[in-house]
Amino acid sequence: MSTSAPNTAVSYPSPNVVAQPTIRATAVSKSYGNTHALNGVDLEVLSGEILGLVGHNGAGKSTLMRLLAGRERPDAGTVRFRDLPVDHSWTGPAAEAAGVRMVYQELALCSDLTVTENAWLSDRRKSSGVGWRRRAERRIIDVLDTVFPGHGIAVIERAGDLPMAQRQMVEIARALCTENLRLLILDEPTESLGVDAADQLYAHLGTLTERGVSVLLISHRMHEVIAHSHRIAVMKDGRVVSVTQAEVTEDELLVAMGGEVRPDAATLDRVVSAESAGPSADTADRSGTRVAAVANSGATQFEAYSGEIIGLAGLAGQGQEELLQKLWAPGTFSRATQVPRHRAYVPGDRQTSGILPLWSVAENLTIAASRAISRFGFVNTRLKRELADHWVSTLKVRGGAKAPITALSGGNQQKVLIARAFAANAELVLLDDPFRGVDVATKNELYALMKAEAALGRSIVWYSTENKEMAHCDRVYVFRAGRIVSELRGSTITEERIIADSFDDRTGEVR
Amino acid sequence: MTTTLPDTTSQNLRRQVSRSRATWPAWGWSLIGVIGVWLCIIAVSSGSPLQPLNQALTLAPYLVLVALGQMLVITLGPGNIDVSVGAIISMTAYVSVAISSSMGPAAGIAAATGAGVAAAACSVIAILVLRVPPIIATLATSLIVASATLLLADANRSGAAPALRDFVNARVAGIPVIAILVALVTVAVAFALRRTTFGLAVIATGQSFKAAGKAGIRVAFVTAVVYLLSGAFAGLAGALLAAFISPSTVLGTSYMLDSIAVVVIGGTLIAGGRPVPIGLWTGAMFFVLLSGLLNLVGWSVGAQNILKGVLVVLVVVISSTATKTGRSTWRRLLEGRRTSTPITKEKTHG
Repeated sequence: MSTSAPNTAVSYPSPNVVAQPTIRATAVSKSYGNTHALNGVDLEVLSGEILGLVGHNGAGKSTLMRLLAGRERPDAGTVRFRDLPVDHSWTGPAAEAAGVRMVYQELALCSDLTVTENAWLSDRRKSSGVGWRRRAERRIIDVLDTVFPGHGIAVIERAGDLPMAQRQMVEIARALCTENLRLLILDEPTESLGVDAADQLYAHLGTLTERGVSVLLISHRMHEVIAHSHRIAVMKDGRVVSVTQAEVTEDELLVAMGGEVRPDAATLDRVVSAESAGPSADTADRSGTRVAAVANSGATQFEAYSGEIIGLAGLAGQGQEELLQKLWAPGTFSRATQVPRHRAYVPGDRQTSGILPLWSVAENLTIAASRAISRFGFVNTRLKRELADHWVSTLKVRGGAKAPITALSGGNQQKVLIARAFAANAELVLLDDPFRGVDVATKNELYALMKAEAALGRSIVWYSTENKEMAHCDRVYVFRAGRIVSELRGSTITEERIIADSFDDRTGEVR
Repeated sequence: MTTTLPDTTSQNLRRQVSRSRATWPAWGWSLIGVIGVWLCIIAVSSGSPLQPLNQALTLAPYLVLVALGQMLVITLGPGNIDVSVGAIISMTAYVSVAISSSMGPAAGIAAATGAGVAAAACSVIAILVLRVPPIIATLATSLIVASATLLLADANRSGAAPALRDFVNARVAGIPVIAILVALVTVAVAFALRRTTFGLAVIATGQSFKAAGKAGIRVAFVTAVVYLLSGAFAGLAGALLAAFISPSTVLGTSYMLDSIAVVVIGGTLIAGGRPVPIGLWTGAMFFVLLSGLLNLVGWSVGAQNILKGVLVVLVVVISSTATKTGRSTWRRLLEGRRTSTPITKEKTHG
């Protein structure tokens, strides 16, 4: 590993030890209301290293990241960047001037501006005056071509028109446009990227670190963190519980995070026992009937039977979301699509199309369940409370039914949204990549819940960008270029098979 | 598993929630305003201290009635506003007079309400079918309605039916009957918002129409019904005002801005998703009392309007800062100065 950062005067004999921390957080704490997001965290990112940061949802990763980027101030403790004096106020502009860039998990592009304009927004030092657009355009194209060769992004397109994966690429690329980049903070950068693009990104991160740039990589994808980080910090309940060298196994990390390695059998039992006693048990006998179908969807027709979990796989943005949309809102006169009357939808983008931010957990959870809790349009408060309490205790939503939904961490919000869909008692439940940015333990609980609900006779259609998740499905449709190209069943559902089918057999190209 | 902390966390959250709810209702500020203005009036005028309140109660119900519809519309979320209520009031006053002279006062009120709904239907078509922004759509509607008003004004010169006149001036135990009835309507709306699926759908739509749509709410249907309701309330208010004052082409003009101001002063979130029906009463009383006070000390109508405008802005800023509902401009400015972070960036990930 090279230690070629300009200010580094001392060089150490061991190649693994890098001289100077780029940024160091000392005993930082941060609370939001009564929630302690951070509890005395010490962390340093050395120059020229990739530091992986893992932990469950709500462990404090995002908060720590915002503090390091100067977006928020710690309640206690200090953040010190390189040689800046301790009392130097570490604010957003100061961090930006010092060369700190952050790539957000919730994409922060302005959807009505073009890619070029977005790039200019985050880096406008020298491009004022005439011709800024052309210069910004050249810069972003250069970076995109360097990092993601073959990206296929037209920079004059509005950011909102790009598919998720390309938006993510733009988001990453515009952070890299900076000339004096010293610290790059990546929050779940690969969640929406395809396998190829993720590899390209990690390759580029490698060349960046050789130039002395530090990278803080936050991800739930353990294998990626292990494969690409130099050191890995594990967070739990607002603390950094361990910092290890990268030679750990996935299981060791999960144990350090306080999670369970095995699928969550306890939740399964809880859900099954609670549900079989409940009123919806009578739906079980309907198992086996066809509840939804879409004609003209590709080589094979899409069909969903009750009691099934159906996966929609393939590379990101190949038509899976369009199919979900068709099933959710088929249009009044569409004859090609057969759907049941009662459907529920779990959006992947929980911030803009999932939660209702002014409401409590209970209200968020029961809003779709009007059939279960109301008579003639009047809501029965007792039924509503019972329904909310039932799901909050089944899924162990932190904070309880009365907590405001925005006080919950992302994973817990997602639990509420999934509970909302199942509480609506729908025959067809549509999941649009709902597990983005959700930790392993929560995922396992939710997989178990899905299995239990399917066993009750519901049909679940589930789009995911993570092929590994597809092992939980009964059947998987693989998409390519807007069409279903293959249908996998049972034991043929493997990551390798999905990847193979995702690419065109002849050229290996996506489109 | 994550079972060690939740109990304490949830208790803390619960305590926090209940505390904030118990200490400060959203309409609290306007209640303080009512009391303040009332005390001022008592100080500058002689006579019974209850007199100004009683007087305000005769004027406030009409404002509350219009504001009920406006509140529902504003609760639908950003961009939703009904600027046609003023024009609708002027038109339906004539409709009610014309119909009640031939078919009786009850038919007159019904016809006025129906005319309000019909006018709102124009807005609904423009908003939902033609995808025109609500402020433009309702503005267009009010132009159409204003033309209809002129036609109606030329065609009839009669006054309101005596029976209706007696009704709007009737009092029970010194309180205007109309105030009691509008209070009942307010309670009904408040109940509907909390305890019916439709009310919850309105509030959910206002918080995020995208999320509401994904939760299975028929957002377009909810929007349509809310605008029609606003038209109906305005139409009803027009019929009653025709009897209380008398029909004129400018009868409703002031109600357009006043209804919006009352909704905002009453604590309803201007960004949508949080209606405060009680606040309509405190807001309307505040407004009516304030006009009375300013008349008493001899301010001109123009100067009164300037003060009203300033008050609306102040109330929005102060209340959202104090109750920490959302990020007010003021709070953002304060934070912006402290960290000198551009506002746009705060918003993108806030």
